[in-house]
Amino acid sequence: MSETVTNPGSAQTADIPEAIVDRRRHRSSQLIWLIPVVALIIGLSLGIKAYLEKGPTITISFKSGEGIEEGKTKIKYKDVQIGLVRDVSISSDRSSVVVTAEIERDAAEFMKADTRFWVVRARITGSSITGLGTLTGGTYIGMDVGSSQEDKTAFTGLETPPVVTMDVPGRQFVLHADDLGSLNVGSPIFYRHLQVGEVVSNELDQDGETILLRIFVRAPYDKYVRQNTRFWHASGIDFSLDANGVKINTESLLSVMMGGIAFQTPEDFEEYQQAEQNRHFTLFENREVAIKSPDSTVENYRLLFSESVRGLTVGAPVDLRGITVGEVTKIKAEIDPASKKVIMAVQIRFYPERVKPRSGATSDQRATVDSRKLLDAMVKQGFRAQLKSGNLLTGQLYVALDFFPGVPTARIDWHGNPPVLPTVSGNMAQLQASLTQIVQKLERLPLEELAGDARKTVQTLDTTLKSADKLLKNIDSSVVPETRLMMEDVRKTLDGANKALAEVKQTMSADAPLQVDLRDTLRELGRAAQSLRVLGDYLERNPEALLRGKKEDQR
Amino acid sequence: MEWPGRSAAAQGFCSCHVCGLVSRPQPGETAARCPRCWTKLYFRRPDSLRRCWALLLASYILYIPANLMVMMETGTLISYRKDTILSGVIHLWHNGNPGIATIVFIASILVPLFKLVVLTLLLLSVRRGSTWGIKHRIKLYRIVELVGRWSMLDIFVVTLLAALVQIQSFATVRAGAGAIAFGAVVVLTMFAAMEFDPRLMWDPLRKERTYE
Amino acid sequence: MPPGGSACCCCCGATLYRNLPDSLNRSLALTVAAAVLFLVANAFPVLGINLQGNGNAVTLLQAVQELWRQDMPLVSTLTFVTAILVPGLELVMMLYLLLPLYRGHVPPGTSLIMRLLHAIKPWGMVEVFMLGILVSLVKLVQDFRIIPGVALWSFGGLTLLLAALASSFNQRDVWAHLDLKQRRSGV
Repeated sequence: MSETVTNPGSAQTADIPEAIVDRRRHRSSQLIWLIPVVALIIGLSLGIKAYLEKGPTITISFKSGEGIEEGKTKIKYKDVQIGLVRDVSISSDRSSVVVTAEIERDAAEFMKADTRFWVVRARITGSSITGLGTLTGGTYIGMDVGSSQEDKTAFTGLETPPVVTMDVPGRQFVLHADDLGSLNVGSPIFYRHLQVGEVVSNELDQDGETILLRIFVRAPYDKYVRQNTRFWHASGIDFSLDANGVKINTESLLSVMMGGIAFQTPEDFEEYQQAEQNRHFTLFENREVAIKSPDSTVENYRLLFSESVRGLTVGAPVDLRGITVGEVTKIKAEIDPASKKVIMAVQIRFYPERVKPRSGATSDQRATVDSRKLLDAMVKQGFRAQLKSGNLLTGQLYVALDFFPGVPTARIDWHGNPPVLPTVSGNMAQLQASLTQIVQKLERLPLEELAGDARKTVQTLDTTLKSADKLLKNIDSSVVPETRLMMEDVRKTLDGANKALAEVKQTMSADAPLQVDLRDTLRELGRAAQSLRVLGDYLERNPEALLRGKKEDQR
Repeated sequence: MEWPGRSAAAQGFCSCHVCGLVSRPQPGETAARCPRCWTKLYFRRPDSLRRCWALLLASYILYIPANLMVMMETGTLISYRKDTILSGVIHLWHNGNPGIATIVFIASILVPLFKLVVLTLLLLSVRRGSTWGIKHRIKLYRIVELVGRWSMLDIFVVTLLAALVQIQSFATVRAGAGAIAFGAVVVLTMFAAMEFDPRLMWDPLRKERTYE
Repeated sequence: MPPGGSACCCCCGATLYRNLPDSLNRSLALTVAAAVLFLVANAFPVLGINLQGNGNAVTLLQAVQELWRQDMPLVSTLTFVTAILVPGLELVMMLYLLLPLYRGHVPPGTSLIMRLLHAIKPWGMVEVFMLGILVSLVKLVQDFRIIPGVALWSFGGLTLLLAALASSFNQRDVWAHLDLKQRRSGV
C-alpha cells in the first residue's frame, strides 16, 4: 500500500509487463524438491508405523461408567498399562455402558473368550481394602487373562473384582450349607488356623433347601483337601462351659467379623485321595458336628417301645456297645387302633459306616441289600434296640443297640417307611426283674443250716490249734541241745581258719621286707625304661647321632 | 520535504491493495473494482480513522480486565494459585526462569501496550495533521503490524498447559476469564492495525485533499 | 532486475518487488512439504507429560477440544482458527493455485483464491504457536517429565517451511499469469 510515482499516461490495462514463465529446470530447482520428498517419507513412515503398532480395539460393557473417562482411563494387567479407553457411550438398549478401548499390539494375545474385565476403584470389603492407588491415580480397568483358545473382542465387564484370578493356582470346591450365617463372598477359609482360601460365590440351590457355596483353596494347601475332608462354619466364637471348664474357640478375629470356614481331614484308618476340582462337600455348623460325622450314608429306622420314654430327647445318642452310631430324630406317641395300646415311636438315624465290616474293604459302594441281609442275620441272633439310662441322677435315656440272648424272635419290618427295628424293653423294667430275682434267690438260701455248720467248723479248728501248740513245745526241749553242741564245733573250726588268714595278711602287708624289695626293683626298672625312651626320641630326630655323637645345643 | 513528481492519486491512478495493479477508476465512480482481482478499489481505506478509533477504544476497555482477571489457575497437590498475566510473569521470574519470564513479559504485556500506545499516537498525529518524523512513524507502524501477532503467545501457552496438565489431584491447569479478555485485546488491536491506512500520514505532507 | 534483487520505495523504503528466481518451483515444493508436515503435526501428539506414572499427551486438536470442554469456547475457537484453520486453508489454497500453474495453466477462481489468501494471511500464527510450545515446555519441565511428541518437530519444520514459503512465493507472478489468461481469453 505504498505510493508509486509513475509517468502519466498509463492506461488501465496497457503496459503490463508479461510475466516471465520460467520453464527452465536447473539443478537448484530439482534440489528443492528434496524437501517435500523428505517430508513425505517422514510422514508416510510415521503413519505406517502408527498403523502397524495399533493393537485391536475391544468393547466392554459395564452397568455404570463411573470413573471411566475417554482418553484417560487405562486398562492394566498386573499393574502394567496395556490399553486406553477411547470412548464411553450408552448402549442402544440403554441398559449398559459400552466402553471402547484400544489395546496395545503386544497385549492382543490376552483377549481370550474368558478374559475378564472389571473397574478397579477404592473398595472396602470385609476382609481387605483394595485399590487405594486409584484415589490418586484415577480409576482403571483391571484385567484377568483367561485360558481359552478363542479370541474375543466384545466383553461384558464384571461389576466387582473377582475374588480369585485365573492365574492363582489352586482348586475350587462346592459346599452345601443349610444357611449362610455370616458368610459372604470373600470370607476366609482356614486350615489349622492358616488362611488358605476364600469363598468365591454363593447362591441358593434350585430346590431352595440349601445354599451352594463355591470356595477356592490356594495351592499348595489344596492338596490337604481329601475326599473325606470335613468343612464347618468357623465364624464367630465357640464358647462352651461344661464339667471340664470353659472353652473359647475361635479361628481368628477376621472370621469373627467376616465369618469363615475351616476344614480338617479326620484321622482315619485309611488315607483318602485328594479331592478333585469341584467336588461337593457338606458344610457343618461347628467343629464338633463336623468331626463327629464322618458319614455319608444315613439310614433311618423306627423303634416302637411300650414303656415310658421320659428322659429321651431328640438328639440322644444311639449307642452300640459304647460307640455312638446314630441319634434320635423323632419321638412320637401313637395309638394302635387295633390293640388300643399306646406305642412310643422313636425314629433314629443310623450311620452304618460307623460299624465297619471286618473285611477292611472300603464301603463306598455297599449295596443296601447286603446291609439288609446283614441286619436280618444280626436280628436273628438277638440284635435289638433298648432304652437305657444314661444318667441315673437326671434320668436321661439313650437308645442302646446290642445282642440280647434269650429274646423272643423278631424280624425287621422292611416295608415300613422307615423300617422298624425290633426292640426289647428297657433298662428299668429289667432292673426290677433282676432285683426281684436276686431277692428270690436270697430267700431260698438255707441260712440256719449254714449257720450251724459254721459253728461246728469253728470248734474243730480250735482243737487243731491246741495240738499244734503242744508239738512246738516238744521241739523246743529235745531237739535244741544237740544242735547247740554241733554249733560249738563249727565255731572252733572257724577260729582256726581265721588265724591262718591273719598270717597271710601279714606277709602281704605293706611294710613286709619282701614287698619293699619288690617295690625298689620296680622303680629302677621304670627309670631305665624312661631313659631308653628319651634316647629313642633323640635318635628319631637326629639319626646321625649314632655315628657323630650328641650335638651341643645350638641356640 | 518534497518528493518529486505528483502522487499517482493526484493523477487519478489507484493501486489495488490486493494485487498491486495500478488502474484508473472513473472519476466520480465510488464502487470501482480492480480489473484483475475484482476487489473494491479505494484511494484510502474508507472510514479508516473512525474504525481504528472504535477498535482501539474497545481494546483499551478490554485491556483492563485482561490484566486484572485471572489468566490461568494452577492447582497442585499442595497449592492452588490463580495467576493474572503480571503475577504469572513475576512467579516465573522468582522461580528461576528469568528468560521465559522476559519473553512472556514482552509478548503479553509490552507488546499489547506498545500497540495500543503507538496506534493512538499515529491516530492522533493524523488527526492533528502533523508532519514530523514521518519515517519514524511509518517504521513504528510496520513494527506494530509485524509484532501484533506475537501477543498470542500467552494464549497458546495457556491452551497447551490447560490441555496437558490434567492429572487429577496431582496437578491441574485451567484457563481463566482473563484469557478471553486478553484474546479479545489481541484480536481487536490486530484489526485496528489493519484498519489504519498509513497513507493517511503522508497526506498532510502533500498538502492535498485528505481522503477521509 | 537482477535475480534476487529487490526494488524499494523511495519514499518509505518498503520493498516493492523482489525478483525471486524459480519462485514457482520452489514455492510448490515448499508447499507440498509444508502440507505433509502440517498433517503430521496435527495427527500426532505435540507434547506428553508424565508424573509418577500418570501421564497425558495431546495433539493440537485435542488441546483445542479440551479447552472447549473447559467452558472457554472463545479462546478455543481463537486457537483453532489461528493455529489450525488458517494455516491449513493457506496451504490448501496455495496447492490449488501452484499445482496447475506448475503445469502451465491458470486455475479457475484464481483471483478469488488470491484475495482470500491475502485476507487470511495475517491470521496464520504457526510460528507464534511454535514459540508457545517452547515456552510451555520450559514451564512444564520443572514439574513434570516431558515426552516430546512427533508433532513438536513437525511444527518446528512447518514454521521454517512456512517462513521459506513466504519469502519465495511471488504474488506478482501469479497475478501476471492471471493477466495473461485474462488477456488471452479477452476479458
